[in-house]
Amino acid sequence: MTERELLHMTAPMREDFEIPYHDVGPREGLPRVALVAGLHGNELNGVFVLARLAHFLRQIEEGRRKDTHLLGRVVVVPAVNVLGLNIRSRAWPFDGTDLNRMFPGYDAGETTQRIAAALLRLTEPARWRIDIHSSNVDFEELPQVRLYDPSDEERRAARWLGLPAVIERPVNATFSATLANAWRERGGHALVVQAGHAGGLQPAHCERLFRALVDFLERCGVLAGLELAEPDGDVHHFGSGHALPLISEHAGWFASRLEVGQWIQAGELVGYVYDGFRGELRAEIRAPRSGLLSGVRRQPLLCEGDLVARVLTREPVGAIAGTDLMGHGQ
Amino acid sequence: MKIGQETFFTLELPYRERIALERAVFEGGPGPRVAVVSGLHGDELEGLYVCHRLAGRLEALAKRRPDALLGRVELYPAMNPLGLDTLQRRVPIHDVDLNRVFPGHPEGLFPHRLAHAALRNLLGAALVIDIHASNVYLREIPQVRIARAFEGELVPLARSMNLDLIWVHEAVTVLENTIAHSLNERGTPCLVVEMGVGMRITPAFADQLVTGILSLWQRIGALAADLALEPLGHAPLVADDSNVHYLNAEVSGIFVPATEHWMEVGRGDLLGRIVSPLQGEALGEVRSPVAGVVFTLREYPLVYEGSLLARIMRTGGRP
Repeated sequence: MTERELLHMTAPMREDFEIPYHDVGPREGLPRVALVAGLHGNELNGVFVLARLAHFLRQIEEGRRKDTHLLGRVVVVPAVNVLGLNIRSRAWPFDGTDLNRMFPGYDAGETTQRIAAALLRLTEPARWRIDIHSSNVDFEELPQVRLYDPSDEERRAARWLGLPAVIERPVNATFSATLANAWRERGGHALVVQAGHAGGLQPAHCERLFRALVDFLERCGVLAGLELAEPDGDVHHFGSGHALPLISEHAGWFASRLEVGQWIQAGELVGYVYDGFRGELRAEIRAPRSGLLSGVRRQPLLCEGDLVARVLTREPVGAIAGTDLMGHGQ
Repeated sequence: MKIGQETFFTLELPYRERIALERAVFEGGPGPRVAVVSGLHGDELEGLYVCHRLAGRLEALAKRRPDALLGRVELYPAMNPLGLDTLQRRVPIHDVDLNRVFPGHPEGLFPHRLAHAALRNLLGAALVIDIHASNVYLREIPQVRIARAFEGELVPLARSMNLDLIWVHEAVTVLENTIAHSLNERGTPCLVVEMGVGMRITPAFADQLVTGILSLWQRIGALAADLALEPLGHAPLVADDSNVHYLNAEVSGIFVPATEHWMEVGRGDLLGRIVSPLQGEALGEVRSPVAGVVFTLREYPLVYEGSLLARIMRTGGRP
C-alpha cells in the first residue's frame, strides 16, 4: 500500500497542498480498477467509503485478513476537490469551477484543468473505472449505478456492484465535460455511482456502497478469498427513458415520510406541500406510475417547478423534461 | 413610439414571494424586432448599464424622432435577478449556471423554465445581443465571440459593432447549452459580447458598445437610415484559436501587472510579476511568448498555479 500524490500544488497564501491517492495491490503493470470520489467537495458518502475501503485493502495487503488476497492493482482517489472538502464547498473554492465539468483537462491550462488532466492520466489506463457521487444537498438518491449509452460489457460490470438500480441515461452536452465521459471516449468501462445526498453522511447508504465496491473487486478478479454476503435484493435495470421525475407546481414546504428504495404503487402518496406563510395544505404529491422510488427531496423549501421525487418505472415514460434536467448531483 | 415595461416570466418561491422578470419594450413601426439580453450571470453588470444607456437613447428618440424607430426593441437586462440581487454568478437556490441550461424546458426546474421562457420570447428576432462581463478575475477588451459554425452569418454583423476584437472559436460541446447557441442554431442570430470585468461597470466600454449597437440596428433596418448616429471609432481585429495565446500562472501568489490592457507587446516583454507578501523577491515573471495585443488581463490579483493571467492575440509572425 502506497500513499501517493496525484498532484502537488502551491497555494497563494497557505502551505502547499496535494491531492493524494492510494495505490494498492501488485504494483507491476497498469491499475485494473480506478475508484474516484469527491470531485465535488460536499459529496461526502463516496469520500468516506473510499477512505474506509483503502483501509480495508491495506489490511488485506498486509496479510491481516486471513485467506484474502489482492490480485490486481487498484488506485483509490477518495477526494479530488481537496480544498473544497476541507471548507465544505462543492465547487473548486477559488473560482467556483465545477471540477466535473473540466474534462479531459489540460496540463498547461487553468488549475482545475490541470487537476482534471492529472486525474484522467492516472485513472484512464484502468480497465474498470468508477466515479462516485452523491446528489446535491437537496435530494437523496438511492445507491445506484448510472450508465451513459453503455456497452453490454458495462451493463454486466454494473451488475457486479449489486446496487438495487442500474439506470441508463443518454449522453448530453453537459455530460460531455465529465470524468465519466472522458473515460468513455477512451474505451474501457466507465461507471457512475450515486448514493445519498451531499453535505452529510448517510451510514446505511455508505455501508451498502462499501459492500458494493468489495463485491465488485471480487467479481472482477481483483480480490480473492472473500466470503461474500448474500445480496440485499435484486438488481433492477432501467433503460433510458424509464426515470419519471415528480415535479411540484406549487411552492412552499415539502415533507415526505418515504424512504428511497421502496416500490410504490400508482396513486400512492409521496408527500405534502404546505403554503410557506399561511401553512395550509396546498397539494398532495402522488406517484402517477408505479415503480422504484429512487430519489426523494430532503430540502423542505420548495420553489414552483422543483423536483420532489424520482420513480423508476418498468414501462418507458419518455423523455419527460429530459432526464438530465433534474438536479445536478454529478 | 410606445414605451413600456412587461413581465415575461414569473415563478413562485417558497415563502410568499413570486419572482418576476421584466423587460423594457420600445415599439416603433412594423420593422425588424431586435433584443439585448444581459445579466445571465449575477456577477456581470456591464450589460445592465448598456441597457440603461440604450433605454436613454431610445427615450430621447421618442421625443425627437419617434418615427425613426422602424421596428421593435426589447431589453432583457437582468435575466438572473436573484443572482444579481444577491451577488451570485449562478442562479441561487439551484446553484446552476443559467447560461448552461438552454434551451431549457417548460416543466423543468426554475432555471430551465426561465431559459425556456427567455428563448420563446427571443426566437424570431432579427438580432439578439447577449452581453457578458467576463467574471471577477479577468478584464476583457470589448469583443464579440462567435462559434465557428455561425461565423459566416455573424462575423459581418459583428464587424460593424464598434468593438475591438472578434474571436471566432471552435466548437465546444458544453457551450451548446448557451442562449447564443440555442438561438443561432434555431435561426435567430445572436451575438455574444464580452467586455469589462465582473462586479463593475466600465462606462467607456458601454458607450462604445451603444454606438455599435445603434449602428447595427440601423444597418438591419430597425432604425431609420436617415437617423444621424455617431460614427464608429473602432474596427475589430479578428482572432481565432490559431492566434490566441493563453498565459497561465506557473506559481501561486499575487499577480502584479506591468502592462496595460489592450497594449501591443513584443515577444519577451514583461507582462507582470507574481509576488509573495512574505518576501521582497518576485516568485516569477510573466513574459509575452509572442508579439501581439493583450485583450484579456488579470484583474483579481490572487492566483493559483494555472490561473489565467492574460490572453494575447498574436499580430506578428509565428514565434
